[in-house]
Amino acid sequence: MTLFSIARKNIKRNFYNYFLYFASMIFSIVIFFTFVSLQYNDQVAEASTMKISTAFKGASIVLIIFVGIFIWYSNAFFTRRRKKEVALYSLLGVRKRQIGKMLFYENFVMGLFALIIGVVLGTLLSKFFVMLLMKMMGFAVDVAFMISGKAILETVIVFAIIILITSFEGYRLIYRFKLIDLFHAEKKGESAPKASVFAALLAIIFLAAGYFISTQTLTSKLWLSNILMTALIILASVTLGTFLLFRSLTIYMIKLSKKNRSQYYKGINIIGTSQLLYRIKGNARILTIIALLSAVTLCAIGTSYSMFYNAKQLSNAMNPFSYAYISQGKPLDQKVHGIINHQSDHQPASLYSTKVIKQEINIDWDKAPNGYFMDRKRSTFLSNSAFNQLAKTLGQKGSLHLKGDAAVALDNQYSKTFSPHYRGKTLDIKTNDGREKLHFVGFKDYNVINSNLAGFPVVVSDQLFQKLVRSGQVQTIKQWQVKNDTDSAELTKRLASILPKKAEFTDFYRPYKDMMAGNGMLMFLGAFLGLVFLLATGSIIYFKQLTEAAADKERYDILKKIGVTKKEIRHSIAKQMLFIFSMPLGIGILHSAFALSALSDLMGRNILAPVLISMGVYTVIYIMYYFLTVNSYFKLVTQGK
Amino acid sequence: MKAMLQAQHVKKVFGQKGNVFTALDDIDLEIKEGEFVGVMGPSGSGKTTLLNILSTIDQPTAGSIFIDGSRIDNLKEDQLSSFRRNKLGFIFQDYNLLDTLTIEENIVLPLALAKVSAKEIDRRVKNIAHKIGIEEILAKFPYQVSGGQKQRTAASRAIIAGPSLIFADEPTGALDSKSATALLQSLSQLNEREHATIMMVTHDAFAASFCSRVLFIKDGAMFTELVKGQTSRKDYFQKILDVLSALGGGMDDLI
Ligand SMILES: Nc1ncnc2c1ncn2[C@@H]1O[C@H](COP(=O)(O)OP(=O)(O)OP(=O)(O)O)[C@@H](O)[C@H]1O
Ligand SMILES: [Mg+2]
Repeated sequence: MTLFSIARKNIKRNFYNYFLYFASMIFSIVIFFTFVSLQYNDQVAEASTMKISTAFKGASIVLIIFVGIFIWYSNAFFTRRRKKEVALYSLLGVRKRQIGKMLFYENFVMGLFALIIGVVLGTLLSKFFVMLLMKMMGFAVDVAFMISGKAILETVIVFAIIILITSFEGYRLIYRFKLIDLFHAEKKGESAPKASVFAALLAIIFLAAGYFISTQTLTSKLWLSNILMTALIILASVTLGTFLLFRSLTIYMIKLSKKNRSQYYKGINIIGTSQLLYRIKGNARILTIIALLSAVTLCAIGTSYSMFYNAKQLSNAMNPFSYAYISQGKPLDQKVHGIINHQSDHQPASLYSTKVIKQEINIDWDKAPNGYFMDRKRSTFLSNSAFNQLAKTLGQKGSLHLKGDAAVALDNQYSKTFSPHYRGKTLDIKTNDGREKLHFVGFKDYNVINSNLAGFPVVVSDQLFQKLVRSGQVQTIKQWQVKNDTDSAELTKRLASILPKKAEFTDFYRPYKDMMAGNGMLMFLGAFLGLVFLLATGSIIYFKQLTEAAADKERYDILKKIGVTKKEIRHSIAKQMLFIFSMPLGIGILHSAFALSALSDLMGRNILAPVLISMGVYTVIYIMYYFLTVNSYFKLVTQGK
Repeated sequence: MKAMLQAQHVKKVFGQKGNVFTALDDIDLEIKEGEFVGVMGPSGSGKTTLLNILSTIDQPTAGSIFIDGSRIDNLKEDQLSSFRRNKLGFIFQDYNLLDTLTIEENIVLPLALAKVSAKEIDRRVKNIAHKIGIEEILAKFPYQVSGGQKQRTAASRAIIAGPSLIFADEPTGALDSKSATALLQSLSQLNEREHATIMMVTHDAFAASFCSRVLFIKDGAMFTELVKGQTSRKDYFQKILDVLSALGGGMDDLI
């Protein structure tokens, strides 16, 4: 019998193991290749205003590391399940060198095939992904089918290295173990772990510290001293806390549940609980990794989706009207009127004229308002009644009734952290009659004039406005609201071409389109990486549990012999897996919730809805892995006899 | 006395077409309630196979089996499981202890499965540990105790739920003569005091001499049987040895 025919028989007999390993290799290659193809796709490069390569390069490095770890892990899982077989060969007197060679070739050939299949599948898939990306970026283009030589080369190089390394790993396997170890590869006596109260306390302290720092606002002393350092401290303390949590607190919890004897001694609980306890030490590291991975994934998806989700809303907040400009006299206004009314796609269209005052101001508060910063030292003053009219048009609630020197700021990018606290602030303005002191009584978190035109808008009482009219520079702002302004490239272009620079023409469409393109790409990257992480995370738990299932089979056989029904076994497995799956998911969600709430604070936006949706989707896919694992575990444990 | 276990024309064939092996061929037997029956025979004669089939762990190729009046060879798997749990106790040749459980938890298992209260469980464990002499090792794990102690643990697990029929496959195989005697005595006591029916496979004539009746099998068929009746244990032991030498087949080295 030649070595080759033995190897071939092996593959036949262990088909399932090979299949899993092969599939994970192909999966990694497809993902990577698709991703790299996107990077080199001409259409994508053309469509994006942002520097696409930097975003993609960064993401592809993350992907390489990740894919490397994933293949390494699948390989370890795969070889572990074959230790016995290897032992058998060496018992039969096949030379170690020969076995090593066989394992090396086997892995290498599989890798080669996976590479070929992966690249072919990836090429087919990349068209679909390009389409998806374009759609998310808001472009409707016909996507051409293309094969990128560069992408193929890059994929081949990366995976050739990974496959070579894992192949050597297989070769080394045979030298690393003694025969006796090989036979007991799955049976090392794991001693019952001890619950350390100290470690459990430490876990809680680390986590609490990390969470506490993350909930501090960015302007607090803690952050201001050294942002990077603080972020690293949070990361380290949360990581350590998570590990200690799984290492000790879970053991503690299980031991505690063991103490409740009437519960512990009830039916099959005794088996599930002791099984968990027996495994938890070995599982602590993997649970930590999964919890952290879940957290990172959720943050990535949550952030990018929030951006995407809010793009329209944000653009609307920035530029509530389709078009706005400073009137430059009747003839031009009529020309604009004509152009807009000529476009039947954008009817009905309505015009709002507002008298405002542009004036230099000097703010010496601790923080500057957004518009002030943007438009330097200028402010746009609106009268109370003009504001009420515009706000009503825009469907905003809460009309104002300002008296005397009371004023209200408009700040559509208000953030607790970065914006001034308007209430109680005062502002001196020069008028012809001397000075006026404005007293801010509050702010509105929306604008009624397109932001770039407005600078820092302030609403003042009608009386005060009359006073200012006499001293300031009065302008009439023309604002148009047209239908279908999300799709108004043509009209926008024409208007921009006829309005002079000093009209300060601002439109809704162009910033919106840019934002969609940028955020669409971010969303795509976030979702892509998130999905890959999730699939890999799920697979890692799956592999790990199946490895254990193989080792546990004997135990379940015994149980069957003494009269435990299959139903009970399934129930017990489901319960154990629930513990293993839900712990890291719960912790991961908790971590990401803290991170995302800090982010929401930073962005000054409510991102609850998109974050909840992301978490929901993540959880649903994760739950599917749970059922898959329970099913496979049960089958593996009860099959045969 | 009524029959506890009846087997009629039991046949067991291993393997598929072309490569078949008949391990048991047309076995008939009956065990009455309260009997302590031994099964002896050369290695490979089919003792474990017979025990597995009678104890519902394996299915016969042909024939029928009744335990306590109900036919069990055509029950569904889950019905078999609950039947096993409620009526039967097992002492396996290779212990079959769970290495994730302590000795105490291993013993407790059948009671836990039967949803006996924790209080009652504690009481029974104490009782049985005292009887079998494993009180000191209750908190240990199987890998921390000797083969004999494991065997006694397995025995305790088999009898703790008070089964009506106990199957034992070479329960004294790993024991020195002192602990073997202790185990056999506790089985006898169980048999005499609690009227438990016991079927025990053994290679050891001394162990067999504790039984009220010994069945001998050879090559998968019933060879003969020996009833103790009024004979003293010493004489019975001698008689068993005589049959064994008549049976031949590599038994001598095992005595
Ligand atoms: N699952 C199986 N498949 C095929 N043959 C089997 C199987 N189990 C047992 N046998 C065969 O059936 C015969 C009887 O086996 P069994 O284990 O019942 O013997 P035994 O009397 O218990 O022997 P020992 O005293 O060594 O324990 C043997 O020849 C064995 O090879
Ligand atoms: Mg046997």
